[in-house]
Amino acid sequence: MRLVRKAAVLLIVGVVGTVCAQEMPREAQPCVACHGEHGMGTAKGPMLAGLSKEYIYAQIGHFISGGRSNIQMTPMAQGYTDPQLREPVAAYFAAQGKQPQLQLRGQRQPKSLAEQLYYQGDPTRDIPACFSCHGPAAVGGGPFPRLAGQQADYLGAQLVAWQKGERSGDPDNMMGTIAKRLNGKDIQALASYLSSIR
Amino acid sequence: MRFAKLRQVMLLCSVLPNLVLGAYPDMQDEIAAQPKAADLHYFTPRDLSRIPNDAFGDKVRKGYELFVDTQQLKGRYVGNTLNCTNCHLDAGTKAYAAPMWAAYLAYPAFRKKDNRVSNFAERIQGCFNYSMNGKAPAIGSPELVAMSAYSYWLLMGGLLDMYGMRDKPVPELNDARLQLGGRDDSFVLPGPLTGQVKLAGREHMPGRAFAALQEPTQPASPLRGKQVYAQHCAVCHGEQGQGRLMAGVPVIPALWGPESYNWGAGMHRVNTAATFIFENMPLGKGVQLDVQQAWDVAAFMNSRERPQDPRFDGDLSRTTKAFHGSDQGYYGKTVDGAPLGSQAFPAGIQP
Repeated sequence: MRLVRKAAVLLIVGVVGTVCAQEMPREAQPCVACHGEHGMGTAKGPMLAGLSKEYIYAQIGHFISGGRSNIQMTPMAQGYTDPQLREPVAAYFAAQGKQPQLQLRGQRQPKSLAEQLYYQGDPTRDIPACFSCHGPAAVGGGPFPRLAGQQADYLGAQLVAWQKGERSGDPDNMMGTIAKRLNGKDIQALASYLSSIR
Repeated sequence: MRFAKLRQVMLLCSVLPNLVLGAYPDMQDEIAAQPKAADLHYFTPRDLSRIPNDAFGDKVRKGYELFVDTQQLKGRYVGNTLNCTNCHLDAGTKAYAAPMWAAYLAYPAFRKKDNRVSNFAERIQGCFNYSMNGKAPAIGSPELVAMSAYSYWLLMGGLLDMYGMRDKPVPELNDARLQLGGRDDSFVLPGPLTGQVKLAGREHMPGRAFAALQEPTQPASPLRGKQVYAQHCAVCHGEQGQGRLMAGVPVIPALWGPESYNWGAGMHRVNTAATFIFENMPLGKGVQLDVQQAWDVAAFMNSRERPQDPRFDGDLSRTTKAFHGSDQGYYGKTVDGAPLGSQAFPAGIQP
């Protein structure tokens, strides 16, 4: 009975459109220990909720091929070489989470260095606005990851990994190129700003 | 040091635009691409945070907003999913991505075919009619005043900074003067700049328009370009050139199809697109393709159907002859079976 009520609540929430009540596929169960039940992230792994299906799918591929490497994720990914296993995982986590409140370019004056970098870039350093690929409120889409609400430590570490060439697999090394133009202060500011977008 | 640079900037001359003749006001006349100067310190506009907090500053800010979020005019003046900043990169500040600080100084410009002079705001109207596949706001409208004010502010603020006058506010101009452009005889520099900056040749600031690109070794080929597109461009711009929306918001521009620029836009020319792509793509990592690839991929994307040229009079060959006779474009030419333009998407804002 309780279970039924719980399911009903979940369903209603799903209909309201904030959280997708899609049931977790079996293939995604091994992910939960580190990425959390709805892919919301834990101390052991970043948020997956709301990343695009295409992006999640591609990243598992990069862990398999070595374009990305992580002590836990590299071996885990080897179990997902079969697209039929990888597909439902990507679809499930892509459907989780809730869309942040959108902010358009030019909608307001940036209130911080990070917001300025995100919406305007820094032409003097040839840094395009992050918005150009990651979109309004960093929702991401297609090959571009959602950054909104992601863990700050994870974001900072990834930007450093891009800088050092320890991470690859982006289209034509665009992110790798741009990351090298960011300094430590930018990275810290961006990581904390992006993680705070709700 | 900087004085010398600016003199260089102001005195540099190049070939005058080669104007194409026709009966319809064409605001998308080809501007000769500029020979790219090596190691030149391009013009640096003021940071946007220095736009003043007053009525004039409000116009400038509004102009910036329209540049980066032109979609707020969708359905009223804009018919596709593009924003000005898709081509005028970095909100119209990037050298060789048609920067507004340089464009402002190039107008008014004489147009042979109308035997008259078009001012800066009229040139922006051309962008609305063709590049935005829309309907231009009227001269004197808040939109054209704001976009003119923003362009003027980029130019003048940068000039003042260049001469060590960082504290000096950009002198205000009235709406009529703003829309004229910086090549008008009435355009004067603020007192301290007089005599330091030469205005002769001001329409040819280095960084203006697009950088000249070498001719390709082999004629540009849509077929080879298709491969380049699939390898380097499709991941962002989409298999069908449709661009990308995120949460319903257009983020990555459509390159062809109903949501892109129409057959009258300057970017439909293969040479214009090739130089833009070579210099600026992928975003933040320009000069990645080789010269041949840039021409080929430009030929590919500009040989797909897009919205009709608004000057189309119902007869494709007549329209081709009247407006596309001498341009390096595919309008009226047959690539995949049917002549381009014969199956064009509707021109202008659709209900």
